[in-house]
Amino acid sequence: MSMDDLIRGSGGWIDYTIARALEWPGKAFSILCKGEILANYVIAILIILSLNFLLPRMLPGDPLQAIYGNEALVAMTPQLEADLIHRFSLDLSIDQQFIAYLSALARGDLGYSYYYGESVSQVILAFLPWTILLAGSAMMISTVIGLLLGMESGYRRGQPLDKLLLVGVIFLSGLPDFFIGILLLIVFAVSWRVLPLSGALTPYGDLHGVALALDLLRHLAAPLAALVMVRMTSTYLLTRNSMIATLGERYIMTARAKGCSERRIQYMHAGRNSLLPVVTSVGLHLPNIVTGALFVEIVFAYPGVGWLLYNSILTRDYPLIQGILLMVTLSVLTVNMAVDLAYRRLDPRVGNAH
Amino acid sequence: MHIDPLGEVFGRSTGRIGLLLLCLMVGLALFAPLLTPYSPSQRTDASAFSPPSHDHPLGTNDARQDIWTRLIYGARTSLSVAVGVALLSGLISATIGSTSAIFGGIYDRFWMRVVDAMLAIPAVIIVILVATYLQPNLMLMIVLISAMSWPGGARVIRAQTLSLKERMHVSAARTFGAGWRHILCRHILPDLGPVLLAIMIQDARAAVFMEAGLSFLGIADPSMISWGKMMQYARVFTYLDVWKWWLLPTGIALSITLVGLSLIGYSLETALDPRLKDNGRGA
Repeated sequence: MSMDDLIRGSGGWIDYTIARALEWPGKAFSILCKGEILANYVIAILIILSLNFLLPRMLPGDPLQAIYGNEALVAMTPQLEADLIHRFSLDLSIDQQFIAYLSALARGDLGYSYYYGESVSQVILAFLPWTILLAGSAMMISTVIGLLLGMESGYRRGQPLDKLLLVGVIFLSGLPDFFIGILLLIVFAVSWRVLPLSGALTPYGDLHGVALALDLLRHLAAPLAALVMVRMTSTYLLTRNSMIATLGERYIMTARAKGCSERRIQYMHAGRNSLLPVVTSVGLHLPNIVTGALFVEIVFAYPGVGWLLYNSILTRDYPLIQGILLMVTLSVLTVNMAVDLAYRRLDPRVGNAH
Repeated sequence: MHIDPLGEVFGRSTGRIGLLLLCLMVGLALFAPLLTPYSPSQRTDASAFSPPSHDHPLGTNDARQDIWTRLIYGARTSLSVAVGVALLSGLISATIGSTSAIFGGIYDRFWMRVVDAMLAIPAVIIVILVATYLQPNLMLMIVLISAMSWPGGARVIRAQTLSLKERMHVSAARTFGAGWRHILCRHILPDLGPVLLAIMIQDARAAVFMEAGLSFLGIADPSMISWGKMMQYARVFTYLDVWKWWLLPTGIALSITLVGLSLIGYSLETALDPRLKDNGRGA
């Protein structure tokens, strides 16, 4: 279980309530809804941008020091300092500074990383594909596993299989993802030596084709497994709850009465109809997967954005830290918004209201 | 309607195991000074990385500090953050959620807009961002985590209050001319208890995790003794055998706390949603 989960609910009752609550307004105010969703995201983005802008400037002391950190200032000449003050418009009033900050962002200028000697956006872009690979595959695999297990478990409520799964998942959901990562690392890489210790590819491996793909999978296996094990728990719990609620509906009784096979009831009647809150929650869980990936990457020294973030925190590379966090937040928000909007289309009950 | 939250938790095996695990950690934290002769930052006479022995049940770390001592003092940090966030975040959720439901109108729409926007933001990332600048100590960390964790709870409290508001006894009170403050304090807040407790347990779990995560990243106040930081340091030495008595017990202590809270939270949530009770298939 990762941190965000906990904030937003574990896939248990609270999460279920939130997912349901997000699902309902769409039915009553579907026309208003699209505007409201957009407004939410605009507000969210404004909050983040203002935090990013204000934090280094509100701190006591020199904002330049807060933006660049003490280490960078050691090598600072008066010439360079004047340059930087001008570059960040620190000589202007605070509202003009904010405009300058926004226009720099709009140009894609996230600042300059002293440690890497490159612009922040270029550094991030080099590390980003690995995070997308890890988080993307973890999201798909954990959703599928969570759904399948949740449907089985919810259908067999109270039976031994359900109890076993439930206890197992609740236990698993309590473990922090970086600790599961560390356990996998110790077992598979340190003790058994069957998987690589770190990285995403064998350095200087000079592999091609199938060998390259296998090498990539070997490096991906452990971090992905750690992430999936923790991530599937919330989907599982939510599906189970939703399945149990759906099984209480009248149309299930009707289906039984007309003699539907149990398999058909389980998957077609109950399973399909318990998907709705789960689909809503995929968007809710995206931030958890991304932040989980950040931590797991650190454990496995997997060269994604999380690893980059960890290193930039160690080297106090503030422009890079800010750039990474801003980028991750914006991408999570974008995907979430797309899911939100798509969801309103997917749910026929919302569509009918138009 | 009235749910007896503690009865529900004690009545279930999941809840009982959860309480047991949590009590274990609370006991370690409370009696820490009695359980070890050392202080957590004290450099002992043993050599660095010494394996477990009679004097040092979990050996010593690279700075010759006793790992067992640091472990049980770490429980204090984790649990203080948990309690602090549960109280503060629960208070904010309850206040904003219940007043939004009661007042309605622009006040309600304003807060629900804020809640929706904040639910969209990945909270962890904001906390990391702020923490890198502020290097939070215990108090600041509680405030910081609470500031990001209240919206989910506020939404649930609001929904619950909306349904409580329509109950007969509330209407009855209103016919007798009761003001909103009286209705809120005498009729609605008492019935919110179990829900609020479930939310606070979740907040507490989030807080334990977040504190460990921030320390693991190395952005908390360096003077705090924390499981996350212990794991961050220990992780570097996986090539030595020390992970067996340094990394592993720390991770297990953190997991016991989190699993304990998960189990309590789960049994409470099940109590709150009668549909989820284990009484066989169908309804």
